Amino acid sequence: MSTGAKKRIMREYNECTADTPAGMKINFDEQNMTEWEILLDGPDQSIYAGGHFKLKMTFPTEYPFKPPVVSFKTKIYHPNVSNDDKGSMCLGMLRADEWKPPNKVVAVLRLIQALLIEPNADDAIEPSIANEYKENRKEFEKNAKDWVKRYAK
Amino acid sequence: MSSPSPIPPPNDRRSSRASSNASQPGPGSSSNATSSLDVASEPSDLLVVGGPPSSPSPLALRASNSPSSKRRKSRVEKIPPDLHLLEYVSPCDSNLVCLICHAPFGKPVRLVCDHYFCRDCLDHAWEAQQDGHKTCPTCRNRVDVDREPLSVPRILENMLDELVVKCPNSRLGCEWSDQRANVQDHVMLYCEYTLVECGSYDCRFPVSQKDFHKGCLHYTVNCEHCHTSLMRRDLEEHQTTACPNKSTSCPHCATEVLRVELKAHIKDVCARAIVPCPGAIVGCTFVAERTEVWLHERSCPMATMAPHFREQQTRLERNEAKLEPLARRVVILEDGLSNITNMLYPANDNASSFPVTNPLDPNNADAFPPAPLVPTPDFRLPPASLHDSLREEVSRIATALTEVEGRASMMIINDGQRFKDELLHTNANINNMRVQLHWLMSTTLQQRTANSASNSTSGRAGSGATASTSAPSGSTTQGAARNRSGAAGPGVTGHSPFRRLSDSTRQDTKL
Ligand SMILES: [Zn+2]
Ligand SMILES: [Zn+2]
Ligand SMILES: [Zn+2]
Ligand SMILES: [Zn+2]
Ligand SMILES: [Zn+2]
Ligand SMILES: [Zn+2]
Ligand SMILES: [Zn+2]
Repeated sequence: MSTGAKKRIMREYNECTADTPAGMKINFDEQNMTEWEILLDGPDQSIYAGGHFKLKMTFPTEYPFKPPVVSFKTKIYHPNVSNDDKGSMCLGMLRADEWKPPNKVVAVLRLIQALLIEPNADDAIEPSIANEYKENRKEFEKNAKDWVKRYAK
Repeated sequence: MSSPSPIPPPNDRRSSRASSNASQPGPGSSSNATSSLDVASEPSDLLVVGGPPSSPSPLALRASNSPSSKRRKSRVEKIPPDLHLLEYVSPCDSNLVCLICHAPFGKPVRLVCDHYFCRDCLDHAWEAQQDGHKTCPTCRNRVDVDREPLSVPRILENMLDELVVKCPNSRLGCEWSDQRANVQDHVMLYCEYTLVECGSYDCRFPVSQKDFHKGCLHYTVNCEHCHTSLMRRDLEEHQTTACPNKSTSCPHCATEVLRVELKAHIKDVCARAIVPCPGAIVGCTFVAERTEVWLHERSCPMATMAPHFREQQTRLERNEAKLEPLARRVVILEDGLSNITNMLYPANDNASSFPVTNPLDPNNADAFPPAPLVPTPDFRLPPASLHDSLREEVSRIATALTEVEGRASMMIINDGQRFKDELLHTNANINNMRVQLHWLMSTTLQQRTANSASNSTSGRAGSGATASTSAPSGSTTQGAARNRSGAAGPGVTGHSPFRRLSDSTRQDTKL
C-alpha cells in the first residue's frame, strides 16, 4: 500500500472522528490502519435497537480504487448481511463495480446505519430472509430481535 | 500503488543538470532545466557558473552559502518532497482537494467532464483500466486519452502554490513553513534537517544536513551518566531529554531532581503537584496542590477513614487470595470422591439403592439420611456428609462380614465335632472287631487243642482260654470293650453286639 493511500485512509479517519454518525465508535490502530473495527449500536428506531454490533472494515491494497470491505463480526439477522462466519455486506456503493474513488468512508458508515433501519430486500444477499422480510414482516422482526438478544447483547 | 513521481529522481536530475550546464553553458539551457521541474524559479537561478564537467552545478554552488554545506561531497543526495505528503498549516478550501487522495491537488489536471484530479491519482485510477476504456473516476464518463487530461486554469495552480505548508522535515525539528511554491527549494537547498548520507566513506547512515560538518557520528558511545550505550549522534538529545541520571527541574515546583526520581518526587513529595485527597478511595472528591491537601486532610473525615478502609481492603484481598486455592482443592477432592463412589458402585450410576446417590446436590436432602448436620459453610456440606454416609456404609459392611464369619466358623466347629465323633466310633468299632477276632481266634485254638487232647484233660482247656483272653489287654478302652463284649458274649451270637452298638452311636451323632 502506497503512502498516498495511507494518507488518504488517515484523512478518512480524521473526517470520521470529526463527524462520526451517532451510535458508532471506530477503533483505529495506526500500526494497522487498513483494518478498522467499528462498534455500532442498533439504531433506536430500528428492530436492532439495544444490540451492539462489531464490524470490520478492511481497506484493500488498491484503495481508493477498490471499495473497502465491510463485514459483521456479530451475527445479525438481516437480508443484506450474509448469514455465515464472514457476515459480509456488499451492496450499493460497496460493490466493486459501483464503487468510485471519491466515495467517502463516512458515507459508507451512513449506508450501514441506514440499512439497519431499512433493509434493502431487493438487493439481498440472503434471499430467504429477504422473502420473510417482504412477506412475513412479523416473523422477520421476531427472528431479528431474537438474534439481537442471542448474539448482540 | 507506487506513485510515479512527477519529478524525476534526484540522481537523474543532478546528472542531467550538471551535464547540461557543463556541455552548453548558457541561460537558455539552465532555465529549461529549471522550468521542467515546475519549481518557481528566481532570477538568481539564471546565474550560470560554467566550468569543467566535474564542477558543481549552480544550485549546489548557491547552496554553499550555508556553512554546513562547505564540506559536502559528491555523494550527498537529497530526495525532493512529495507534494502528496505535505502537511498543510490550515485546512484548505474543499475545491482544491483531489477526490482520490483527499489532499490538495499535487499537479492538477482536468477532464472534459470538468472533474479535476492530481495527475498521479488519475494515472493510478487508470492503471487498472484497459486502454480505450479509461473513464472518469467520479462520473465514469469515457475519456479520450488523446485529448485528455486537459490543463487547468492558471488561477487554480496559483491558489495551490500559495497554500502554506510545513517543512517535510518538521518532525526532525525544522520549523520552516511557507508557501507551497517554495517547499522544493527549501528542502533541496536550505533545510538544515534534510537527511543526507553521512560524509564518512564506509558509513551509509543518513545524517541531518546541519550535522554533516561534524563528521561521522555513527559510532557507539556510553553516556557518562547512566552508561547506556547509544550512537554519538543521539548523545546530546539523550542527555537533555532522557538520561535518567541527569538532573532536571520538576515541572511543578522547579526543584532540581534526577530524572529517574522525578516520578517518585511528583507522586509522593512535590508540594506543588496536584493530588487528590487520601480519602478519595472512600469518596472525597477534593483535588488540589499537595500543601492544600495537607490542610484539607485534617478536617476531612474521609481522609481519616481511609487508612482503616485500605487495611480492610488489603485484608479482604488477602483472604480472597487464600480462598482461591482452597476452592480449587475442594474441587479436586470432590472429583476424587465421586471417582471413588463410581468405583465402589459402578452399577448404581442412576442412583437407586445406594444412599449417597447424589451427595453433591445440596437440594437433595434424602441423599444424607442420618445427617442432621451442624450448619457448616455451604461449600463444605456435600463432601462432609458424603464422608459420613460412606463411613456408615463401611461399618455396615463390617458387621455383615463378622456375622458371616461367625456363621461360617460355627459350621466349621459343628462339622469338626461330627467328624471327631465318627472317628471315635470308628476307633471303637475297630477295637471291637479286634476283640472279636481274638475271641474267634482263641475259640478256634481252644477247639483245636480240645480236639487234639479232648480225651486227656478238660480242666486245662478252661485255664488256657482264660489266659488267652487276658493276654492282649493293654489299654483301658480295650479292656472295657473286652469286658463289655465278654459280658454280652454269653447267650448271644458273636456279631450281634457290635451291630447294635454301632447303630446306637450313629443315632446319637445324628441327634
Ligand atoms: Zn490526488
Ligand atoms: Zn467526470
Ligand atoms: Zn526544513
Ligand atoms: Zn556516519
Ligand atoms: Zn545517560
Ligand atoms: Zn516538585
Ligand atoms: Zn478529603
